[in-house]
Amino acid sequence: MIVLGVESSCDETSVSLSRDGKTILSNVVLSQIDLHKAFGGVVPEIASREHIKGITVVFEQALKEAKLTPSDVDLVAVTQGPGLIGSLLIGINAAKAFAFANDIPIIGVHHIAGHIYANQIASDMVFPLLCLVVSGGHTELILMRDHFHFEKLGETKDDAIGEAYDKVARVLGLPYPGGPAIDRISDQGQSSYPMPQIQVEGFNFSYSGLKSHVINLVNTLRMKKEPIDVASMAKSFQEAAVAHVMDKSIQAFNAYDVKMFMIAGGVAANRLLRQNVEKTFGDGLLSIPAFKYCTDNAAMMSIAGYYQYQKQKDTATMALNGYSRLNL
Amino acid sequence: MLQSLKTLVIDTSTPYLFLALYDQRELVDSHYQKGHNDHSVTLMDTLQEMLSSQGWKPAFLDEIIVGIGPGSYTGLRIGVVVAKMLAWSLSCRLYTVSSLALLASSVLEDGQVLAWMDARRDHAFLEMYEKTRHTLIPVDQPRYSDFKAYQNSVKNPFVLVSSGHPNMNVIWASDLAVLVTDVHQVEPFYLRDTEAERQLKDRVNNS
Ligand SMILES: [Zn+2]
Repeated sequence: MIVLGVESSCDETSVSLSRDGKTILSNVVLSQIDLHKAFGGVVPEIASREHIKGITVVFEQALKEAKLTPSDVDLVAVTQGPGLIGSLLIGINAAKAFAFANDIPIIGVHHIAGHIYANQIASDMVFPLLCLVVSGGHTELILMRDHFHFEKLGETKDDAIGEAYDKVARVLGLPYPGGPAIDRISDQGQSSYPMPQIQVEGFNFSYSGLKSHVINLVNTLRMKKEPIDVASMAKSFQEAAVAHVMDKSIQAFNAYDVKMFMIAGGVAANRLLRQNVEKTFGDGLLSIPAFKYCTDNAAMMSIAGYYQYQKQKDTATMALNGYSRLNL
Repeated sequence: MLQSLKTLVIDTSTPYLFLALYDQRELVDSHYQKGHNDHSVTLMDTLQEMLSSQGWKPAFLDEIIVGIGPGSYTGLRIGVVVAKMLAWSLSCRLYTVSSLALLASSVLEDGQVLAWMDARRDHAFLEMYEKTRHTLIPVDQPRYSDFKAYQNSVKNPFVLVSSGHPNMNVIWASDLAVLVTDVHQVEPFYLRDTEAERQLKDRVNNS
């Protein structure tokens, strides 16, 4: 079964073709990141304008690289949400028009399901499993007892981890996107600034306290005209941020009898997190997506689409719509 | 003489969803209905219904004409992305037409017509046309202007139009549909930079 995936929830226009939920035949990603850098973050209206410019080219390129024609495609899987609504609607309406013109069934897929299924590309999921989802909009622990069975054990009560990274990077004067910038500069620092212990019940997360602590600390030092060691501040923050998701992951891993641990989402590209996860869970079954499948891409959507369809056998109508907020 | 010329017209630049099917330049079916910010839900669904009730497959379409703007950004893009994707998928001709010209084409009387769309903060996207019996001639550029100030600046009498079922025969007679040479390049005619771009330009100019 050939699935064509479409992803446009934020600032990447992407189309991918995959076979039988396993083999990626092509994954074309048109990134707008350089365009948004000038604004210090993603500008939704600019993102929408870029998506519509690039969309048909990306479809064409993805089919060409996979050496396929539209008539080879058995299913279209498009990101339905959550994300920037204007951006989502470009991908969704392009996908619907493509599916309609070529008489192909279509389904809407949850963006986070896509991130989770980026893991299925390199290795097969073994159930039950625990997945830590970390991105700009999400920090959650998901228990999966089977394909497309998502049980949320806990989530962030305030900021997502990636959001905290971006805001700390901004106050430190580091470029957008903040995650990779902090990860990189941390190499040159010491964890010399004390950070608060994060307290939150259950398998939930909280990042606003840590974020505010760093922002206040930086502002106070600036007011007192004291020097700030940016690399060390970044490293101190990053260690506390990663320790928090690790603590909760270990707790959940011990509380549930799971066979596999996975990470997913943009922050899964963070090197410190990857090292910690390897160290802690490396003895058992562990899945960490390849770097290129951590950030937003359509390959993960087409793999997730395959399993969603296998499991639910349900297709959407031409009234399929996008949602900025959507439950997994 | 052409044996068949099947045309699909799409415009989503205003709160109204406009879809029309023409065969040999004769109107076969159309849909002109006010939506609730839901062009994304209704456009493809309505199109599918209209085509199937004619017994037309998507591949029967010879050409697509799309209202390219200006207009409400998110809504406008729905029609343009669908037109672009259909034209690319079906390898059929794609034409763009000013969404303001589509509005002006709905007016029956002759004389000056001011087609306009609300652009908030007392401003409008607007364009003045001269309507004669079967044609429409632009007499000004499309503008983003203070709506009252623009109207006060016009000496001759005119009719205002901000909604109405477009008349494609007027558009064709006036040669206002523009053939697209590269479908990949098509993007809406926004008439304005984004707010973020304007602020960035201001900052650069002021420093
Ligand atoms: Zn994402």
